[in-house]
Amino acid sequence: MELFFQFLSNTGYYLADYRQLIMIVVGSFFLYLGTAKKYEPLLLVPIGFGILVGNVPFFKGFGLGIYENNSVLHYLYFGVTTGLYPSIVFLGLGAMTDFSSLLARPSLMLLGAAAQMGIFFTLLSALALGYLPKEAASIAIIGGADGPTSIFLCAKLAPHLIGPVAIAAYSYMALIPVIQPPIMRLLTSRQERLIRMPELREVSRQELVIFPVAALLLCCFLAPASIPLLGMFFFGNFLKECGVTERLAQTARTAIIDTATILLGLTVGASTQGDVFLTPKSVGIFVLGAVAFSIATASGVVFAKIMNLFLKEKINPLLGAAGVSAVPGSAREVHLVGQAEDPENFLLMHAMACNSSGVIGSAICAGILWSFMIGL
Amino acid sequence: MYGLEAISTHNGWAMAVAGVVIVFAGLVVLSSTIAQLHKVLRLLNGGANGTEGVPASDPAMHHNLAESARQFRLISGRISESFPLPKLIELAELSGLPRPHSTINDLLKAGLIVPDGKGYFFWKQ
Repeated sequence: MELFFQFLSNTGYYLADYRQLIMIVVGSFFLYLGTAKKYEPLLLVPIGFGILVGNVPFFKGFGLGIYENNSVLHYLYFGVTTGLYPSIVFLGLGAMTDFSSLLARPSLMLLGAAAQMGIFFTLLSALALGYLPKEAASIAIIGGADGPTSIFLCAKLAPHLIGPVAIAAYSYMALIPVIQPPIMRLLTSRQERLIRMPELREVSRQELVIFPVAALLLCCFLAPASIPLLGMFFFGNFLKECGVTERLAQTARTAIIDTATILLGLTVGASTQGDVFLTPKSVGIFVLGAVAFSIATASGVVFAKIMNLFLKEKINPLLGAAGVSAVPGSAREVHLVGQAEDPENFLLMHAMACNSSGVIGSAICAGILWSFMIGL
Repeated sequence: MYGLEAISTHNGWAMAVAGVVIVFAGLVVLSSTIAQLHKVLRLLNGGANGTEGVPASDPAMHHNLAESARQFRLISGRISESFPLPKLIELAELSGLPRPHSTINDLLKAGLIVPDGKGYFFWKQ
């Protein structure tokens, strides 16, 4: 009988804590959003299930939890804390990305730069709210709307915040259809939303092959700390475009990125153990993340309007919202908002140009912030 | 420490301004470079055709063509290095490859199979 009671006292039912139950509800909600609502299912399903896995109550010291040194989850989590998974995800992203629209209209790259202002505004806000500089930088990068970049920088600067930062970043990426359209509509007039973009010129294969090499050298010479992300990103893109490594590119954009995404999502989700995740700091991170993402969207749109003051051929300011690096979600949203006004207005390819420059911009920002924090 | 005092103490203003300037500088340099790229390539290519080299194909099409090239290359491996097209078509039909005529036409257009000037063809390396 004593053995039976001892067993019962080791079960999850006995050890359950209200914080874990809250997180289980959150995980279930993520699964609901991913499966029933189809909001970014490739991200929310692994993360949601990871939250369930990470919040099953267990007896500490058995080597089960993600924060216990000898546990399986801890070994899988190694890829997050070292920045390994984000780099691998970037390899796959590079092998998926088509830069032809960006090469056809390079000026749209400025919108990718403008949208990064949300990052630096949030850096100031987080500092003002009392976060330490490394924590503030890790929170600010959420404004880039790039999950892997946020995890990468957070792993380097404030590993104790990876859970909330990653969850916030991915949540806002999934909530693009909810967050971005009202901001876009608020900041633009109907006439501006009706602006049609000219057809893009045809881009040569030589340009596509040279671009990843030139971009790697220019960006990484400027911010060498972004090599782990941009190095892999442009390498993946070179595999895609060089024409002789199609098999490698195919593997990078399918099996490799899928494996990394599964492990990344699952372990990030599992890192949200109720007792370490539900803190006032996490709440602050969620609020600041929303601010960062909203300001990033707004600054892209406003910058596009400013550009229009000087351009003969006006650009549709909605494109500015695609300057965040949530590929291809924000580009799709820009296209849909544009089409809501004029069903014959096709903004997708132009928005993809801004989107891909946003990926480059946020990775550069991560490198810059990391460099700033060295020695602090 | 909170508010403006915290920002100043942690050098926040300088970091934010420098950060924005660096990101903009980086992307402006990159966009200026790629804006000139097609012009430089046109010059290097002799500037004759004005189309900046071979246009990039659709990625899916590119992938299909690459896959077809791989299959046809395997077949042509059974014949000598230079091969007559009818022979390649015959081998493709024997191997059950779909639409050999149109696929070979695509491979020729893409410059993957090139004529040797003597009535035979070879794979471009």
